Amino acid sequence: MDYRERWEHKDYLFGRVLERRILLFHIGLTLVLLVFMLDFWNLQGVHGDEYASLAENNRLRRIPLKPTRGEIYDRNEEVIASTRPSLDLVLRREGRLDLRPQLERLAPIINVPIEDLFERLAAVRGRPLFEPLLVKEDVGLAELARIEVRREDFPSAEIRQHERRHYPERGLIAHSIGYVGEVSENQLASNEKALQRGDIVGKSGVERTYDDPLRGHRGWMVVSVNSVGRQIGDARVLEDPDHGLPLQVTLDLRLQRALLEGLGDEAGAGIFIDTRTGDVLAMVSTPSFDPNIFSDGISHETWKAITGDPRRPLHDRAIASFYAPGSTFKVVMAVAGLETGTITPDHREFCNGSTVIYGRRRLCWKRGGHGWVDVEQALAHSCNVYFYKLGQEVGIDAIHKYGKMFGLGSPSGIDIPGEERGILPSREWKLATQREQWYPGDTISVAIGQGLLAVTPVQMARMMAAVATNGRLLTPRLWKSEPTEESQLSISKHTLGIVQRALSKAVESGTARRATGGEFTVAGKTGTAQVYKHSAGIDADDLPKDERDHAWFVGYSPTDDPQIAFAIVVEHGGHGGTSAAPIARKVLEVFYADPPVENRRGTGLRAVAMNQIEAEDVRTPTTR
Amino acid sequence: MSGRRLLDSLDFPTIVATLSLVAIGLFAIASATAEQFDRGGLWRTQLMWLLVAVVAATVVVWVDYRLWAELALVLHGGVILLLIAVLLVGTEVGGNRSWLVFGPLRAQPSEFAKWTTCLVLAVYLARRVRGSMGLRQLVEMSVLVGMPVGLILLQPDMGTALIFLPISLSALLIGGVRWKVIVGILVIGVLLTPVAWTQLKGYQKERIMTVFDPARDPSGVGYQVRQSKIAIGSGGMTGKGPFQGTQSQLNYLPAQHTDFVLSGFAEETGFIGAATLLGLFYYLLWRGIVAARSAQDRLGTYLCLLVVAWIIGQVAINVGMALGRLPTIGVPLPFLSYGGSALVSAVCAVALVVNVRTRRFVN
Repeated sequence: MDYRERWEHKDYLFGRVLERRILLFHIGLTLVLLVFMLDFWNLQGVHGDEYASLAENNRLRRIPLKPTRGEIYDRNEEVIASTRPSLDLVLRREGRLDLRPQLERLAPIINVPIEDLFERLAAVRGRPLFEPLLVKEDVGLAELARIEVRREDFPSAEIRQHERRHYPERGLIAHSIGYVGEVSENQLASNEKALQRGDIVGKSGVERTYDDPLRGHRGWMVVSVNSVGRQIGDARVLEDPDHGLPLQVTLDLRLQRALLEGLGDEAGAGIFIDTRTGDVLAMVSTPSFDPNIFSDGISHETWKAITGDPRRPLHDRAIASFYAPGSTFKVVMAVAGLETGTITPDHREFCNGSTVIYGRRRLCWKRGGHGWVDVEQALAHSCNVYFYKLGQEVGIDAIHKYGKMFGLGSPSGIDIPGEERGILPSREWKLATQREQWYPGDTISVAIGQGLLAVTPVQMARMMAAVATNGRLLTPRLWKSEPTEESQLSISKHTLGIVQRALSKAVESGTARRATGGEFTVAGKTGTAQVYKHSAGIDADDLPKDERDHAWFVGYSPTDDPQIAFAIVVEHGGHGGTSAAPIARKVLEVFYADPPVENRRGTGLRAVAMNQIEAEDVRTPTTR
Repeated sequence: MSGRRLLDSLDFPTIVATLSLVAIGLFAIASATAEQFDRGGLWRTQLMWLLVAVVAATVVVWVDYRLWAELALVLHGGVILLLIAVLLVGTEVGGNRSWLVFGPLRAQPSEFAKWTTCLVLAVYLARRVRGSMGLRQLVEMSVLVGMPVGLILLQPDMGTALIFLPISLSALLIGGVRWKVIVGILVIGVLLTPVAWTQLKGYQKERIMTVFDPARDPSGVGYQVRQSKIAIGSGGMTGKGPFQGTQSQLNYLPAQHTDFVLSGFAEETGFIGAATLLGLFYYLLWRGIVAARSAQDRLGTYLCLLVVAWIIGQVAINVGMALGRLPTIGVPLPFLSYGGSALVSAVCAVALVVNVRTRRFVN
């Protein structure tokens, strides 16, 4: 039989049944296709626009154009901070290669421990793949050459260029100018300034205060990227970045160098202020550090080393360390005595080397005694006995009043962050903080600048500027913001004249003779801040270094038309006259050799409206 | 039937519709791979496979479907042997051992198993079933379908195995299974679901969950579906234009020349293109039913319906996946997705319909 005849033809009855099943089949499959047709209509017809913008977002990526950070110059237009290109070694993470073998090969070439590289690799896990792994910042050309000749060993390696903050003077300006670093998570979280991860911001000093103008504003470009984020085609710039503005600070690097050199290996601080303007001409804290190490994110080891250093190099001793003012406080005592009328200029006391007050023997530093001294002589020769008695008479309230008037116990308002206010004790203060009433004996210690008193170098320099200018109390500043903050103290010219003469005498023939070699005049006061109570009466040279007193020298120059006021503290320096005064002399020699120019306020650098600059208010609040 | 008469009564509309779909596929593959430097020439490879498919389809049409039916068991057995061979000496691609390699040629026997399964089921229904089916017929059919499906699951190729589901269900429907049996199958299916769930791999479970919660894991499993929907939706009414789809040209789409070829096509041609495509598939469905109803014997009717169930079922699974209605599973879109074996077997499937339609008149 023909194979074609072996198959049953459809009879009528079964055909009807089959027709019904075919219809069901037809309807079922048609419905499926119809549902899909509706789906397409819904996606493309109804929601097409939404999906179109989703696709655009997929495709287009906004990439920030980073502004160049403004340069910082000193008043002579010497470069303090600039920006230079830095070459970074990165590994592309697209393509899902295991990067570890490449890192293992790279580690010896770039001299980074392999564990550190693995740590970096672990840290970027979960970040978008188009972000490369940063292997090392600021790679040297020799290293790059060694990588380049073995190119095939490093298929993912790429060089990225970015701008790196550079401080050519390194440690010279570390504390006052500060440093920059990557924006912190906290700053990102508060994000008032629309900062982005990876942005470089000022972390301390001038870099922090004037971060906004220095940083500028980022621009944007748009690039088309593929699914793994690789750029395709040309970029389109949406908005050019506004580069940061250059800033000319008040510092004079020549004085700065002399001051740093003078402090040498000692721990301490010095600050020199223009008495007419409040310009900070020099400000140094030692030991210092190299701010460049922060520019690209500091390594864990370096950070640990620098924060673990017992000498605390990051700490700005000029504004954030407070010391007992020692005899320098006698300036406040003399003013308080004269202004309250407790003493007259002619009032004399007899010093025989010690005196007994409230049943306790108090020593003068000069064992043989000063004999009969009036207030001018007592200040010039720093007679303790005179001021013990004055303190007993004038009382803590008046001392507090005049100390406060000179700005002690309150921040000076200098335009960098981190200032400490120190302690200017009063009855209320002692009751509030120590839950103890004020004892008359406390006043006696305060009278010679010891005890509960604590002041910062910047406060002392500011006070000396006020003494020098017959009571103009200025706000020290590193950049000129108008108007200058100043106030006239209600202290009589007569009183200040006595103090001025005493301070001149102290340098001419008193405790601070080493402050001048005679080529210029200096008025000043030495001081020793007791580190240990028992140090009184023991020669500093006989004590181990870290038990010696801190040495102060504060003052101004020249005596007839004061231009510059200063405060220097040398930790464990012993006598102010021997350790601190010579430092002041060194700086002043540079000052007089070639007086600083009038600060040009940036106008010569670039035509920018500097008065538009608004500084971040980083200052310690003046009222508590 | 002489060659001359055969040519005269050929079902040209069906052939034109099929070739249109293949042509759309070539365009879609060319577009999807335009930006991929190592895949730029794939559409030419597919064109070569089309020539193979046309030759094979000519043979399929030339030989009377009733003669194919005589050979059904032999062919089916041969494919099963090939499937066993695949498991023994096959080449693994992307985790599935489904390829047989002969020199420069690679073939997926599982694609041809669909073809022989349609044939053997049609023969079985025509020979053994009259009126309605009982349990015995059900078991026998399960063996016929179960052998290739079991071997394909061992590869393991879930997607291809899934295509046998619409074929089998259609066989039950048109074979006239009793309601009691359907209920029984459903009950067993429900009881077995938890067991099957434990057998699934982690990523497969994720894919199924993603259907119910597309927001789940947008960068992982949900990513593909999301990118596919963005591609389709962003095409709008008229599409972004040939080779202008950003989703496909920028490689956002996964498997954009194979399983997700529709997404890129819908992106570039819009609703008009997608509707045209669905229209063409509906036209094939309709032509298949016309052929089924005009067949002179029950064998021809069954054959046409099963082939239609296969093609439209596979379209449904693929499109459902691209639209996010079904779990992401590796199923090519018939005629469009890149892949030689799939193209040849799908064209040969339509060739069976043409075969039946051409021989609708008695002798």
